[in-house]
Amino acid sequence: MKPQSVSLLAAGAVLTASARAADQAAVADLVARIKSPDDAVRGPAWQSAGPYGAPAVGPLAEVMTDPHFEIARSARRAVAAELVKLLGHASPNVRKHALWMLSEIGEAPAVEPMAALLADPEVREDARCALERIPGAAATAALKKAMATAPEAFKYALAHTLRVRGEKVEGYPSQKRVPTKPTRVKAG
Amino acid sequence: MFSLGAASLPQILPARVLGATYSTPSAKDRLNIAHIGVGGMGNGHLGYMLARQSRGDVNVVAVCDVDENRLAAAVKSTGGKATPYRDYRYILERADVDAVVIATPDHWHAVQTVHACEAGKHVYVEKPACCTIEEGKAMVRAAREHKVAVQVGSQGRSQREAFYAHQYIANGMLGRVHTVKCWHYATPSDDNPVPDSEPPPELDWDLWLGPLPWRPYNARYLHGVFRWLLESGGGQIRDRGAHVMSNALHFLGADHTGPVSIETKGRVPTKGLWDAAIEMEVTYQFKNPDWTLIWAQPGEMVPYPDRERVKREGIREGYGAVYYGDKDKLVVWVGDGQVYTEQKALDYTPPPGGVQVPKSPRFDHHEDWFEGIKTGRKTIMNIEAGVATAFLCVLGNLSLICGRKLHWDPVKQEIVGDEQARRLMSRPQRYPYTL
Repeated sequence: MKPQSVSLLAAGAVLTASARAADQAAVADLVARIKSPDDAVRGPAWQSAGPYGAPAVGPLAEVMTDPHFEIARSARRAVAAELVKLLGHASPNVRKHALWMLSEIGEAPAVEPMAALLADPEVREDARCALERIPGAAATAALKKAMATAPEAFKYALAHTLRVRGEKVEGYPSQKRVPTKPTRVKAG
Repeated sequence: MFSLGAASLPQILPARVLGATYSTPSAKDRLNIAHIGVGGMGNGHLGYMLARQSRGDVNVVAVCDVDENRLAAAVKSTGGKATPYRDYRYILERADVDAVVIATPDHWHAVQTVHACEAGKHVYVEKPACCTIEEGKAMVRAAREHKVAVQVGSQGRSQREAFYAHQYIANGMLGRVHTVKCWHYATPSDDNPVPDSEPPPELDWDLWLGPLPWRPYNARYLHGVFRWLLESGGGQIRDRGAHVMSNALHFLGADHTGPVSIETKGRVPTKGLWDAAIEMEVTYQFKNPDWTLIWAQPGEMVPYPDRERVKREGIREGYGAVYYGDKDKLVVWVGDGQVYTEQKALDYTPPPGGVQVPKSPRFDHHEDWFEGIKTGRKTIMNIEAGVATAFLCVLGNLSLICGRKLHWDPVKQEIVGDEQARRLMSRPQRYPYTL
């Protein structure tokens, strides 16, 4: 390897290390603001967390268990807000993964964009599952609303989720024990 | 220390076999058994039942698998007599089926057990009982509500030397047991990752996934290797933890209890499809009585002392547990179909009035299930015990996923003080493969 290449690599390594240190400092600053007891500091912090990207996810996850519930909620919202953006991604696989991640941390603000995907044939089943896991009245209301317009076959799945959430649903009995898949293997 | 179930005979026996004497059943009174999942362990169960069938004990009337090659092989092994099914729900519709043996990947255990109970079938289900906390609770509810006998396939409890270890510990020979340390070799990592592809023609991929979110087929999901994925197997802690920790709960009379805290440290794979921790150490703290259970991969293996026996019997000493009391300690090796313990426990005879511990008939786990069906008594690895063990495995993984100590209410059976972790106590299932 030429000496010049070595020096370029070394310079690159120094720059990368510097950038990483800057990222870490910025993330640490974000986390400190999200942990602020002051709503006026904490609110704008989580609402503008997106540009910090992946390096912020781990530190924010730590804050998600903060004993102060508003601080924990702010950390969840910071991550959830970015995941919500992925619900509009062109790839159904990305939309699917975003839905499942939101099922673990999403709250009421995430419900509407998640529920919009109940009309997306490629990921509607994932959207139903994800909403099943989100606590609160907003998810229940969104699922009920979807019952009105969903394709007939999908209404059975929606009815299941509503029942899991303690709602009474007329019609659409469970199909869980209805066999549908015959074998080609023969006896004898 | 061990109370038997109180279900009355008329409630638990199918009307078809009321009055049958199980040891010599007449043809019409033999249990009709169906096998759901006939590869791997399922093939072993089928072989066992076919041997029992040849002695006139049972009838194997149906076999089921989502892999048509495995299904065809199973039908052939029955001499073409068992009816084949791809979809287990056809079996549950048959009024003549009394009992099912479920040996599918873990993500199916709860759904199929609950459905079978609802259909009034007795169930033998492979371990671990469940993949989530809510699945486990649903299994217990279904078995109780429909009054069927459920045996979970942690067969270590039924083994001969497990009985002697249990008897030794229960009679106080170790004093008060304060610590149980399990050891087990690491979960493998996926060192041969492959891209997604079309499923093989013999496999119904959609039905293999069942309750799991749909995704493209990948050869590294199955067969057998499903164990190394958190959602379908959970790694060694769920696979073998469901044996070794089952014995710990059994020996200490702790089936009806649970830990109050769970803390896990571990190392997860950096490549490949499999995501279960390679190495991990889980510390479970129990209260009233206070004791500590440690699951460690790899932990500190204790070599079995009789090296000739290791060779002769193929003793898999790569897993086991040491029971530490304030007077003595006892090693129990392996823990599943093989269980070995120290000579001092084998030589021990309880004094008159000593604690009598349960013993499976002929040290046979299936036989214990049959007796549960016949008499209505609790099986040795009943659904409550199976679920209690599975909860240990599930919570160990959850603590690692969350990256923090979890606190557990063993009475309410729920995580406390951690809303994030609580949400992971259940996992929504793909319709219609739901509880």
